[in-house]
Amino acid sequence: MDKKTLKELANNLMFDMKEEEYETLSKEFEFLLKEMDKISEFEGIKDVEPLFHPFEIKTSLREDEAKNFITTEEALLNVKEKIGNEIKVPKVVGE
Amino acid sequence: MNIEEFRKKIDENGIKEVFNESVKISKERQKDVNAFVTIMDSFEKSSSLSKISNIPYALKDNFSTKGILTTASSNMLKDYIPVYDSTVYKKLKESGAILLGKTTLDELAMGGTGTTGHTGIVRNPIDTTRSISGSSSGSAAAVRMGVCPFAIGSDTGDSVRKPASYAGIVGFKPTYGRISRFGLFAFASSLDTVGIMATSVKDVAIVTDILKGKDENDMTSLDNDDEIYENLIEKDVKGLKLAYIEEICDEDNNKEIFNKIITSCETLGMTVEKVNMDKKLLEAVFAAYRTISCAETTSNNANLSGILFGPRAKGSTPDEIIFNSRTEGFSELIKRRFIMGSYVLRRENQEKLYLNACKIRRLIVDKTNEIFNKYDAIILPTTKDIAPKLEQEKEIINDKFSVLENHLDIANFGGYPSITIPSFEKDGMPLGVSIMCNIKKDALTLNIAHKLFEKLRGEENV
Repeated sequence: MDKKTLKELANNLMFDMKEEEYETLSKEFEFLLKEMDKISEFEGIKDVEPLFHPFEIKTSLREDEAKNFITTEEALLNVKEKIGNEIKVPKVVGE
Repeated sequence: MNIEEFRKKIDENGIKEVFNESVKISKERQKDVNAFVTIMDSFEKSSSLSKISNIPYALKDNFSTKGILTTASSNMLKDYIPVYDSTVYKKLKESGAILLGKTTLDELAMGGTGTTGHTGIVRNPIDTTRSISGSSSGSAAAVRMGVCPFAIGSDTGDSVRKPASYAGIVGFKPTYGRISRFGLFAFASSLDTVGIMATSVKDVAIVTDILKGKDENDMTSLDNDDEIYENLIEKDVKGLKLAYIEEICDEDNNKEIFNKIITSCETLGMTVEKVNMDKKLLEAVFAAYRTISCAETTSNNANLSGILFGPRAKGSTPDEIIFNSRTEGFSELIKRRFIMGSYVLRRENQEKLYLNACKIRRLIVDKTNEIFNKYDAIILPTTKDIAPKLEQEKEIINDKFSVLENHLDIANFGGYPSITIPSFEKDGMPLGVSIMCNIKKDALTLNIAHKLFEKLRGEENV
C-alpha cells in the first residue's frame, strides 16, 4: 500500500498522520491484506451469505411522539465557540 | 471483597467511611496503576433496598454520565460533559449503587493493551510491571484493588474478559442486546456488549439482573427473559455436556492447568469432550474481526469533529477546524484503525474485504452453532498465558497472532454469552478459564461458571 493512497484515505477522513505512522500502517496493511487473500481462497466463500448482525432480532420502533430530550443550553454545553443560541464557525461563504 | 463483604463493612463502619477509604486507596494507586480518569469526591446516600444499594462501583469512562466528565480516554473528548445518562448508569443510580469513579480504557475502547488512554498506561495491580490488557483496563484494576466489588466495562472482542482474566477476577459478556447500549459510546455496534466484572460469579449475576432488559432507546436490546440469574446459579450441573476445541487448546502454554480444570468439571458431573474446528477458519477470525470492527468504528466516530464537543483546533474554515481537531485529537492507533475501516468499505474493496470478513463471521457462527446443537457449553483457556510484561504489549497488527489469543472474538461474532473465571496461578499471576453458551443462555453460562468457580476455589494450585 503506497503512502499516497494512505494519505488520501487519511485526508478523506479529515486528519493527517506523521511519516513514520504511515509506514507502520503500510506494514499493517500488508499483513491484513495477505490474511484477507487467504480468506478469498476459502472453498465456497462466494456462496456464503455475509453475517452483519450476531443473530436475527425483532427490532421495534418507538412511537412517533415528540419528547423533550435535551435543552438548547444542554446541546450547546460542550461547544467551544458560540453566539447566543448558535454555534460560531468561520465564514463559509465570502463577503 | 464481594458485595456481601462490602455490605458488612458498611453496616459496621458507615457508608461515608467505606466510600472515603475506597477513594483514598484509588487515589494512592493512581501513581502506579492509573485505574481512573475521574475519582468522585462525594456520594448521595440511597434509600433503595436493592442488593447494591450504597455499594461503590466503577464505570468505564465510555458510558455517558450526565454532568460528569466522560472522556473515552481520548484527547478528542478530554473535556466532554455528557448531557444525558446511559441506561446502565441510570439503572445503577436507581438501584442506589454509588459511583466511585470513571475508569481508564484504551482510547475509544479500541485497543487491547491498556496502554493507549490519553491519561497514560494502566498497570496490573498484582504486578505493575505487567499488563492488565484492555480495553476495560481500569474497571478490572479497580475490582482487583478491592476499592469496589464490581465494575462495568464494554466488550467488543474481549475487552471485559481478557482484563478480568489478567486481573484474576470474573468478567461476563452477556448475550448481545441483553443489556442496553444506550449511552455507551459505540465502537463496533454489531459487536459491542455491556459487560460486568466482579470478584464472584454470584455478584456478576446480581448486577446483570439489575441491568438487563428491553430499553426503548436501544432497538437491539432483547426482550426481558423473566429469569432471575442469581436464583439459578446454584442449579445442579450434573449431566451437562461441555466441549473444548482442540485446535485452540493446542496453543495453550499451560495444558496441565486446563486438564485439571476439565477434571474439576467432571467431578461436578459434567462431561467434557474434544471437538475440532478447521484451523484455517479459526486463523481467519483475527483478520475478519479487525476488518469488521474497523469498518464499523470509522463511521461510528465521524461525529468527533471538534465543532459540537471536544477540543477545537485552529482553522480559517470549518473544514480546517475539523481536519486540525481530528489530527491533533486522535492518537496514531485510532487513525490507523479509521483508515483501515475506510479502505475496506471503499466500493472497489467491499466485496473482497468487508463482505468476505462478514462471510467468515457467518462460517464461524454456523460452526459454533453446530457445536451448541450437541453441547451445552464450550470451555477454553481464556488466554494463552499469564499477563505479559508491559514492554511486550504492542498495538500493531502483524503475523504474531495466535488462535487462542483471539478466540474470545467468536462470542462477539455470534452474540453468545461468555464468561471468564479465575482458575489457578502461575508465577503468582492468575490464569482464567472461559465458558461460552448459546445465545440467550445467560443463566446457564452463569450457572456453570458459578459451580466451577466454587469448585476451583477449594482446590490446590497446580
